[in-house]
Amino acid sequence: MLKFLKAGLLATGFVAAANAAYAADAGEGEKVFRKCAACHSVGEDAKSRVGPQLNDVFGRQAGTVDKFKYSAAMVAAGEAGVVWDEQTLTQFLVKPRDFVSGTKMAFAGLRKSADVANVIEYLKTFDSDLAGTVGQEESSGEEVQTAMAEEAPPAAAQDHAPDHDGAFGLGRVATEDEIAAWDIDVRPDGLGLPVGKGTVADGEVLFTDNCAVCHGDFGEGVGRWPVLAGGQDTLTDSRPVKTIGSYWPYLSTVYDYVKRAMPFGNARSLSDDDVYAITAYLLYLNDVVDDEEFELSNENFEDIHLPNEGNFIPDDRFEEAHYAKKDEPCMTDCKPAPVTITMRAQVLDVTPDTDDDSAGGQID
Amino acid sequence: MSDKTKETLDKTAASRRRFLQAGLAGGAVLAGASAARAAGDPLITEIQDWNRYLGDGVDAAPYGTPSEFEAHVVRRDVPWLTADPVSSVNFTPLHELDGIITPNGLCFERHHGGTAIINPAEHRLMINGLVDTPLVFTMQDLMRFPRENRVYFLECAANSGMEWRGSQLNGCQFTHGMVHCVAYTGVPLKYLLEEAGVKTNGKWVLAEGADASAMTRSIPIEKALDDCLVAFKMNGEALRPEQGYPVRLVVPGWEGNMWVKWLRRLEVGDEPWAQREETSKYTDLLENGKARRHTWQMEVKSVITSPSPQAPITHGRGPTVISGLAWSGGGRIKRVDVSLDGGRNWQEARVDGPSLPKALHRFYYDFNWDGSELMLQSRAVDEDGYIQPTKNELRAARGMNSIYHNNGIQTWYVKADGVVENVEVS
Repeated sequence: MLKFLKAGLLATGFVAAANAAYAADAGEGEKVFRKCAACHSVGEDAKSRVGPQLNDVFGRQAGTVDKFKYSAAMVAAGEAGVVWDEQTLTQFLVKPRDFVSGTKMAFAGLRKSADVANVIEYLKTFDSDLAGTVGQEESSGEEVQTAMAEEAPPAAAQDHAPDHDGAFGLGRVATEDEIAAWDIDVRPDGLGLPVGKGTVADGEVLFTDNCAVCHGDFGEGVGRWPVLAGGQDTLTDSRPVKTIGSYWPYLSTVYDYVKRAMPFGNARSLSDDDVYAITAYLLYLNDVVDDEEFELSNENFEDIHLPNEGNFIPDDRFEEAHYAKKDEPCMTDCKPAPVTITMRAQVLDVTPDTDDDSAGGQID
Repeated sequence: MSDKTKETLDKTAASRRRFLQAGLAGGAVLAGASAARAAGDPLITEIQDWNRYLGDGVDAAPYGTPSEFEAHVVRRDVPWLTADPVSSVNFTPLHELDGIITPNGLCFERHHGGTAIINPAEHRLMINGLVDTPLVFTMQDLMRFPRENRVYFLECAANSGMEWRGSQLNGCQFTHGMVHCVAYTGVPLKYLLEEAGVKTNGKWVLAEGADASAMTRSIPIEKALDDCLVAFKMNGEALRPEQGYPVRLVVPGWEGNMWVKWLRRLEVGDEPWAQREETSKYTDLLENGKARRHTWQMEVKSVITSPSPQAPITHGRGPTVISGLAWSGGGRIKRVDVSLDGGRNWQEARVDGPSLPKALHRFYYDFNWDGSELMLQSRAVDEDGYIQPTKNELRAARGMNSIYHNNGIQTWYVKADGVVENVEVS
């Protein structure tokens, strides 16, 4: 427990120090790791999720984290002698599927060699044997504490001098830059769209690098991650497939959501033009546009309408027959005897702690 | 056996039955009778360790935790339900709780980008859009507005969503555990909006979180100015990180997704924003392919929390307590009925404890179980007169694919051995 605490402080210390580092930088690696964090975890409470946990990865035989379901290829690689170290991790992270053909890690690989070196350095801080070798010198916890204390606002209360006419005079006027930094929402009528553009072809590259790890190369969804394309004409089926093309009413929601929350684990990392390009590619995957050269921009955004826009209706639940009656409920002999059981949870027992994974359903 | 002996036995049995019907007295007589036969319960006749040796001092637990014997009372998740635990949900152990207040550490969690960890000194709340003066508040600023204390339930719109196609999960924690009820301390949202000055064309408020999903929902201005709170305390102490520390929105009676956690921005506008969580999610697909949107209010609902599949009857026949919860986004619960026979016949349950609008209500039905099979149901009626529907009534009106707003009547099948199962009935 202590070792990870120290490792955490160490990484923070590095960002703060942010100097010399010609060589690999764990602080920079921490940022790179955000791409990995959707599937992998490190640190004190690290658990295997979509990918295995990565504490103490150095010196570990490939495919051997307890209870993680690896691909057969990864297990075989380990049995054939692949042990994770700087060299093997570097080869793997550049092009995972080239190094272990058949790995279920869908990530395409890190393009920049500096990113590879930095993320490996970062992983070392979660290695009980190597943590001490990272960087030149451990910065002490006290230093970090002191630095934070200096940044904190002065404890002494300032006189209450309102800068606006509100009833309480509390708070202060927001600056234009502050509002611009946070007010990124986009509405169906186009309010909030930034100036920018991007093509389907650009979007395909960005999507492959940033999105396909969870959503699949064609938006088909990996595992239980959201399916983004297809599903047209399935909304009245017993298992509807609700995608951007089949269900979402407005394109603005795609732009807004990708910009505010994607990629998962590295939000706000895409430029406005990147988001236009990815949105254009999603239109292409959903057959709303069919030209790879199509360019989406703030100029033509409002011309695009999604097929299901007209199929949303207001809330009319309280007009349903069972609510409309509102008289006193029946108390005796309300249904014919005997009452019989028509369905049992035991038949499809998907309650946690059972091993059956035939379960169905979703929460949103 | 002589006739006389048989007659005596029959009389004894009859008299014992009368005692049993008398409730607690019956239990006392039985316990007394068996103890008298043996030398005595060693837990009483022998001195126990905790009676002899000293316990921990007052410095052992600066922040107390539940007894080690309550270690099973925890939130649980359903791993197959979502792609990843970082964007997922866990469930309140309703079957272990009583009263109307949910302990902070057991309130179910639903978040879309993990729990944001925010130092309150570094938190800011902005109001912008169609206001006279866009403002930024620190936590210290928020604490200087007049406060209110209110008890409200929070229910995820998808609570019971896995049961639309039929009974699937054996446990009231899993079928109904996306609900909790907490006493909040906070500032009426109205005060903050008025401080900034809402323009006359300001009809909607967008609430936004500071977490990695930057959660957003559009709320009509009438609701924002009515009973919404910007809350920083739950059950007297600071919000838990997973519940939005340092500050969250409280939108009483409406679906939990709107109660934006880690609240950092409120934007006033003249139209709704059609964000992801109000278009692709939290819209209710009907059988004809149309989908309802803006289905904000949580409807009248109830469930028996014990007995239930995780809380079987282990004491055998005799005095038995049925305990349950009822709630409605429309206000107070007017009454709750309980059926032992799958909804043929109903008896009015006893609501005990406070009856507060848009809060959980605790009900009990105390009866003498004769050991026969039961099909337990509860049915709530709210102050607007809306009656909790059956699951089949909901399916007839909406089909099977709505996911959200399943408030249908739950049936628990109690077998003769006290084991309980989630079933549906004719």
